[in-house]
Amino acid sequence: MAPLITVQRLTKDYHLTDRREGVLGGMVDLVRPQKRMLRAVDDVSFTIDPGEMVGYIGANGAGKSTTIKMLTGILTPTSGEVRVGGLVPYRQRQSYTRHIGVVFGQRTQLWWDLAVVESFRLLQRIYEVPEARYREQMTFFNELLGIDEFLHQPVRKLSLGQRMRCDLAAALLHEPRVLFLDEPTIGLDVVAKENVRGFLRQAREQLGVTVILTTHDLTDIEQLCRRIIIIDHGKVMYNGLLEDLRRGPGHKLRLCLDLAEPVAPAELQAACAHLPVEWAETEGADRTPVLRHCALFSRSETNAATILAAVLAAHRLRDMALTEPAIEDVVRRIYREGLVPAPEALG
Amino acid sequence: MQLAEYRTSRWQDLRRQTGIVLAYFAQFLKMRLAYRVDFLVDLGANLFAIGVQLATLGVLFSKVPALKGWSFESVLFIYGFSLLPLGLFNLISINLYRFAERYIAEGNLDRVLLRPVNPLAQVLCESFNMSGLNELLLGTGVMIYAANQLELAVGPLDILVLLVLVPSAAVIYASVFLMVTAVSFWHEDRMGLAPPIYNVIRFARYPLTIYGKGVQIFLMFVLPFAWVAYMPATWFVGDAEQTRWALLTPLVAVLFGGLAMMVWRAGLRRYESTGN
Ligand SMILES: Nc1ncnc2c1ncn2[C@@H]1O[C@H](COP(=O)(O)OP(=O)(O)O)[C@@H](O)[C@H]1O
Ligand SMILES: [Mg+2]
Repeated sequence: MAPLITVQRLTKDYHLTDRREGVLGGMVDLVRPQKRMLRAVDDVSFTIDPGEMVGYIGANGAGKSTTIKMLTGILTPTSGEVRVGGLVPYRQRQSYTRHIGVVFGQRTQLWWDLAVVESFRLLQRIYEVPEARYREQMTFFNELLGIDEFLHQPVRKLSLGQRMRCDLAAALLHEPRVLFLDEPTIGLDVVAKENVRGFLRQAREQLGVTVILTTHDLTDIEQLCRRIIIIDHGKVMYNGLLEDLRRGPGHKLRLCLDLAEPVAPAELQAACAHLPVEWAETEGADRTPVLRHCALFSRSETNAATILAAVLAAHRLRDMALTEPAIEDVVRRIYREGLVPAPEALG
Repeated sequence: MQLAEYRTSRWQDLRRQTGIVLAYFAQFLKMRLAYRVDFLVDLGANLFAIGVQLATLGVLFSKVPALKGWSFESVLFIYGFSLLPLGLFNLISINLYRFAERYIAEGNLDRVLLRPVNPLAQVLCESFNMSGLNELLLGTGVMIYAANQLELAVGPLDILVLLVLVPSAAVIYASVFLMVTAVSFWHEDRMGLAPPIYNVIRFARYPLTIYGKGVQIFLMFVLPFAWVAYMPATWFVGDAEQTRWALLTPLVAVLFGGLAMMVWRAGLRRYESTGN
């Protein structure tokens, strides 16, 4: 399948002006401003297929919003290129913006002083949405988002959650092919976040829209995206399936064993000495017999069955639990250890 | 997968965008009318402002009966004319003055750039300054009075010329201030360039010939305010030689308008939005 979005060697520098201290400094600033450049996005490349919902992840300041602003045509890249369905966002704005919907969690796309319904009517006119289609869409949005109850309120009077629901509906009114969401759940409470996620799932199924979602709430990603792109300091650190990331080398599962009798950690470790296993939380106390022992291992090196077999050969087991690593830990590890080679499958 | 390029005739697109601008205007009026008291207070203030301006004018010209061969009535006519394009321009230019603050610093331009409507049209039409109507009213009144005094024979052709020259002159105002506004794409510090330039407009309300050569050249080719009042108004009150120049006004409008659009577009490419 030909990709819908192609991003090649995308780079964006911002011009910064540093301010000197004090009144005198302010006067010097007027005459000789201190300029410097900040590379917010650094040589980023990726592609996205039609219908995908991709998570674009990174810490604050990693360059997520800057990337989205170039993909939506707000910013012109310093170098590199973006193509979406053959169009160049920042050059063919008037054609391009008809095909996309954009939601910034931080700032509404609606007119602050207008009643919500007036905003929608203006959007209908701007995007030339036929009346019948407009009504269908509004019914659909109301079913999923319950926007009818505040349709006649001015946007500035809405709560953050209500505003986000309106922004989502507004972004989809003209049935865009691509939906860009920059931190759509930021600042929302748990219930509101759940609503937004539910809506996004439905919208993708029913409208078939391709979605790019930036977030630093990894629950969003776990619930919505199969593929993720992780960036740090403007560079791509990982681009692949969430699942593959979890299965990758150096990525540790935790197997906790509750034994029938207390056993000294050293003894258990000896039983598994031939296996690539780390034992957690046993330092300093490896002579004291305890009931619970936790092993960390990587799927690519061994598996739970092998470890169990080795333990069971010498000890009696009462209970056990196997935990997947939290996505937070995965991302943290990538931040700490750097680039992860993309899995072959995505090549 | 390919996304379709939006292809339509220029005429169709102009119609669509004009419709949107009118819808913006309707929304603005609706909002203003919602605050009925404000609206009435504004109206009162506007009428008062017109009165004050008329009185000032009377005092001013009672002292200066004629300027370098220009009769009092001709000067009055030029003054009246100057208010028409200024009124048109003031009606839609309010967001140019707050552009650096509202659209760049607060990042509102992001929203504008995400809509398939000309960004400049959106910025201009997101707010209107109704006091521009003052100048339109005042200017029309003064012009009619002066034309009567001068016993000008005004034919259909003159009206047609007026209808071309006034918008052209408004475009010249807009071009100058658009360029000044676009500077804020490069300099985030809001340099107070607009107010001093706005003050220069005052010089342009009088016959150009009362100034020295340097000022004349400056007002014709650098800050082209000669073309917002004096030059076009000579069609009605100038001699044959001057009258020919009047018709160059639309050309000047196109030239400066094109230049301003180039600067504006370069600014848009330079736009950096805001961090959070
Ligand atoms: N308009 C701007 N001008 C200057 N610097 C900016 C601007 N926007 C973002 N930055 C800087 O660029 C870097 C990336 O920012 P951003 O793309 O907003 O990251 P994220 O969305 O991942 O938090 C940050 O260091 C931020 O301070
Ligand atoms: Mg951001």
